Amino acid sequence: MKAFGSFHPAVLLTYFVAIIGIFMFASNPVMRVTALLGGILFCLLLQKKREIPGNLGFYIPLFLLVAVTNPLFSHAGVTPLFFLNGNPVTLEASVYGVFLAVTVIGVMMWCKCYSEIMTGDKFLYLFGSIVPKLSLTLSMAFRFLPLFVRRMKTVTTARRGLGLYSQRGFVDRIKGTGQVFLSVISWSLENAMETSMSMRARAYGKAKRTSFSLFRFTMRDGVMIFVTLLLFALTVTGMASGATDFFFYPRIGELSLSPLAVTAYSSFAILAFLPFVIEVRGALLWRYYISRI
Amino acid sequence: MKKVISYITFFVLIPAVTVGGALIFRDRQYAWITLCVALLSCIPFFLHFEHRADVKRLVTVAVMTALSVLGRIIFTPIPAFKPVAAFVIITAMYFGGEAGFLVGSLSAVISNFWFGQGPWTPFQMFSWGLIGLVAGFLSEPMKKSRIVLIIYSILAGVSYSLMTDIWTVLWADGYFNISRYLAALVSALPFTAVYALSNVVFLLIFARPIGKILERIKVKYAL
Repeated sequence: MKAFGSFHPAVLLTYFVAIIGIFMFASNPVMRVTALLGGILFCLLLQKKREIPGNLGFYIPLFLLVAVTNPLFSHAGVTPLFFLNGNPVTLEASVYGVFLAVTVIGVMMWCKCYSEIMTGDKFLYLFGSIVPKLSLTLSMAFRFLPLFVRRMKTVTTARRGLGLYSQRGFVDRIKGTGQVFLSVISWSLENAMETSMSMRARAYGKAKRTSFSLFRFTMRDGVMIFVTLLLFALTVTGMASGATDFFFYPRIGELSLSPLAVTAYSSFAILAFLPFVIEVRGALLWRYYISRI
Repeated sequence: MKKVISYITFFVLIPAVTVGGALIFRDRQYAWITLCVALLSCIPFFLHFEHRADVKRLVTVAVMTALSVLGRIIFTPIPAFKPVAAFVIITAMYFGGEAGFLVGSLSAVISNFWFGQGPWTPFQMFSWGLIGLVAGFLSEPMKKSRIVLIIYSILAGVSYSLMTDIWTVLWADGYFNISRYLAALVSALPFTAVYALSNVVFLLIFARPIGKILERIKVKYAL
């Protein structure tokens, strides 16, 4: 179920930069709440079902923690609700606390979606052309991880075959693991040096290199990037004109409902719910195709 | 050309982001401005690496990054007890501060593909990178004396905590609320202690043996 993930990496990056960028700078409760809802719905679709309860157990307490601590630390605002240790707990700070919690959780949600969608290969594909050496380093490091795990297993097995193992307690086991780790380090470094010599023998770095990838920019990607940029522009226009400005201090401000502000809210809402809609549409299409087989 | 770009990021873009951000977003959006600055300050190192690094260096950085990420993944069950900073320091001791910076910041990027990317990624990149960069300056004394090594690893753990808590406060409040910062520092005290302790433990155990391996590699392959 990753209909949204099948877009071209450039489209996806544009989308995430647009949504997280607006989210960061729009200090407007309507927009933040819309983005939070969009993020939660999208995240729900991307997650494995069994991970959901654990996540709820993490995010709900975090939400409450941020919401509750703000009025305790910040005494700005003009409407005191009650006094705690001689410090006023104000209505404004409490509302702002909830707003902050929405922000914090919302950004985390969208970053979670980002991690799910922008996998390592897409990330490397995008940056490979700009910083080829750096992305080669990154992709080698990615590749080394499973390799090193396998080597650790190999060395452990070999040591066991030599009779070099111990179950005589914690310290001994740690020592054993440390030795395995050290030998994997020297094995891997020597191996890497050979790789580097082989690369040099093949004239690495002498000319521009091409790389293989499965991503192709199609009509669908073109439409998606156009829609994203259009919605982004509409929202930013609203924000830049000040129509969506909102103040919590010293007194909670009024929400603007001018045409410009409403345009900004609605285009941002479309932007925020777009991945969810695309995912649902993809899932429905899939059901439909399956039913035809 | 690349050199020009790196000077531009340092002397133009960073102040521009700071001043521009403060002017445009009157709404105390310091968190995002600091985030951009953290990210921008990594760019000169990346560009320098892109421009200068030869194949051997590239592969070494990849191996050391993979090892530190592997360490972070292996130690997932124990919160805050991670060998990443230790690996960054060891790399910096034997391959210089720039390699340390790269291993630190790349480890943050890669390991967060497992632990979750977020607005904290640039801060981790910057903090671990900085720990590596400074370790590069202290490499000789650290190789010679264990006391210097222990002191630096404690300092690295504490400053990691100090730096990441700046982010916590900016993120939660939108501006630098000193009382919340102090509260965050106090509540993070156990974590700070574990950071420092894990650095000391890993460095005391691994600095010498890994150092021996690295020295040997350096001689054997003329690094």
